[in-house]
Amino acid sequence: MPSPVVVEAQSLLVGYGGEPVCAPVTFTLEAGRALALVGPNGSGKSTVLRAVLGLLAPAGGTVRVLGREVDERAQAFRARVSSVLDDDAWFPALTVAEHLLLTASGHGVPEPVGVVDALLEDFGLATHRDVLPATLSSGQRRRLLLAAGFARPRSLLVLDEPEQRLDQRMRAALAQRLLEEQSAGGAVLLATHDPELLAAVAGAAVLVGEGSSALLDVGDAVRAIRAEPTQ
Amino acid sequence: MSVPDDPVGPAPDAPALPVPTGRAVRRYTAAVARQRGGASVGSLLVDVYSVLVTTAVGVGVAVGVVDAVRDSMPADAGADLVGPEVSLPTLAGLLVLALAGAVLSLAGRLGPVGVGGAEATWWLGLPVARRGLLRPAATRLPVLAGAVGAVALPLLDLALRDDGRPSPVRVATVAAVGGLGAAALVLGAGAGQSLGAVRRRIATVGDVLVALVPVLALVSGVAGVHVDRVPAPPPGAVLALLGVVVAAGVVLDHRLERIPARELRESGSVATQAVGALISLDSRELGRTLTDGGRVRRRRRSSRLRVVRSPALALVTADALLLVRSPRHLVQLAATAAVPTIVLAVPRLQTPVIVLPALLVAGYVAMLATAEGPRRAEMAPVVDRLLPIGARRVRRLRMAVPAVAMLAWSLAALAPFAVLGGDLAGWWALGAAAAPVWAGAAVRSAYRPAPDWSGPLVATPAGALPLGATVVLSRGPDVVVLGLVPVLVAVALGTVVPGMLVAQVVCSTVVVAVCGHLPDEPRTVTA
Repeated sequence: MPSPVVVEAQSLLVGYGGEPVCAPVTFTLEAGRALALVGPNGSGKSTVLRAVLGLLAPAGGTVRVLGREVDERAQAFRARVSSVLDDDAWFPALTVAEHLLLTASGHGVPEPVGVVDALLEDFGLATHRDVLPATLSSGQRRRLLLAAGFARPRSLLVLDEPEQRLDQRMRAALAQRLLEEQSAGGAVLLATHDPELLAAVAGAAVLVGEGSSALLDVGDAVRAIRAEPTQ
Repeated sequence: MSVPDDPVGPAPDAPALPVPTGRAVRRYTAAVARQRGGASVGSLLVDVYSVLVTTAVGVGVAVGVVDAVRDSMPADAGADLVGPEVSLPTLAGLLVLALAGAVLSLAGRLGPVGVGGAEATWWLGLPVARRGLLRPAATRLPVLAGAVGAVALPLLDLALRDDGRPSPVRVATVAAVGGLGAAALVLGAGAGQSLGAVRRRIATVGDVLVALVPVLALVSGVAGVHVDRVPAPPPGAVLALLGVVVAAGVVLDHRLERIPARELRESGSVATQAVGALISLDSRELGRTLTDGGRVRRRRRSSRLRVVRSPALALVTADALLLVRSPRHLVQLAATAAVPTIVLAVPRLQTPVIVLPALLVAGYVAMLATAEGPRRAEMAPVVDRLLPIGARRVRRLRMAVPAVAMLAWSLAALAPFAVLGGDLAGWWALGAAAAPVWAGAAVRSAYRPAPDWSGPLVATPAGALPLGATVVLSRGPDVVVLGLVPVLVAVALGTVVPGMLVAQVVCSTVVVAVCGHLPDEPRTVTA
């Protein structure tokens, strides 16, 4: 029996102010699989992710998540789609643990304290559970955001360059976690510049860019990342 | 609804437990913030007391100013009116229109419903009903606008009525109309936002209303269409406006769920920046915050910049393009240039106590429109640093565009004085001599440092005044007032004499020298 389709993008055109930032993209992501978006900086990967999350109206084409038109205003959509973008904002009075508790409790997770404790341990934040995020390093804050993405139920996990500001050990741990996510039936859509993370996690990739967007196998995607111009 | 085996793993169905309400999430966040904030009930009461006293003193000062303006108005119409005439009640009506436009413009720019960065990141992804999360945010701006409207409209009524002091009942009625009207406009903008209206368009409607005011005033003067008395609000106006406020509030409340997260993030971001700029008294940042959202992202084609043949021309061309490609700033220039004409067309406003401030304020607002280049360069001097020009020369070159624009503005603004008193050549010569003062002020205000909060506090009836910040904020207005003394004297006397021209040239030279001066000139790299 084929896995259900979680994300289906058909000639999806994204941009700002009616101006597309990349060529239309077409891809399908099934449950239990991971798909990577690759391309140089500014190619439009994050913009595509924002359209999949309903944070940006498509300039053309369609995108469906879990069989429906994307509408982040629907509570059911938010209950099943978890995302970690490049946000860096915090409630100044809430501790690290309280941010995660807010997320877990807000999603109706049973025993949220135990779940949060486990995540703090996994993401190397256990000793920082009671500190305010403003006092964390940028890498620790990134880990907190990633932990929040896993602190709640989900059918689709969307990650924008999750490798950013993570050390090698944490990248490996993240890759392992994303493989477990797929094994458990979850779908992962990520934008990345990390060839090792891509090779470890993704089953396929989409090259996003101005000229055209193409579906690549993992080997070609890794080569595409290595060919990216250095910034 | 099935319960997933692993509550934090992939969940094909809904969450395992019922999610909390949006209100509960909001209250939890607020309760923790209160706990950690360490603010006692006593300090809260002190804060409330301070705000109330400061507001009361501010309103008292405003009433005093309004009284002084009223007392300065001539009792009867000026006998020497030559051009078109605009009645005082007509002007009052147009100013109400301008206030409504300003409220709508700000409502469109600030949201009116939005959330800050933390709320957007940690709240909006939760599968809770957003109405409970957003209610306070949706209430804040209408209440604030209502409070401002309830004060501003009675002040306007008090200043521009020509039949004595209004009764307490009238003051209360006008305040209610002002407050409810402003709240209705903001709630209407919020309802528009929830219905998918582009916030920029809502702001543009407000801008158009403001820009229409001078046009309508001139049309009224030329066509001879007047309102003879400032009308009393009709008996049912308060009830009708109350009904509109309630209806718009209910619509907005029911549609809070329909405002997309991107809208909430964007407007919340603008509002957060605007509040930050306001608290730190950074008018430049406030201007940037309120105008950046409306910028065109792409032009049909790029200019080939054929006139750019040197670094100096590159700098001036960049500033000029910035101005001519910003319709809002051009409208600002044109609208303010009409202000002296309008003021002089109202017989009862023909007194130096009103004409001089009107000229100065209109000129300053116009000058701000021309100073976008220097303001942006002060924020991000990266382009300046790419050019092989010394900092002092950069600063002087940045006066070029404001000087040319304010020359045109001065010719238009001073022409009506010539209509009244003759000697058009003399007034225009004076305006041309004064243009460098505006240019110097543009650069001085754009390049002023951040407000200095470390200075001593000066006790005033309205509360403590931070002297250091006040000194910094006065950079720009100070040279306008001092450098334009000859123009102001000419306006007050209604005539231009050669001595004034000489004095203005001297003042302009001094202002340009002061405003182009840098304490430590960096080493100049020559081309």
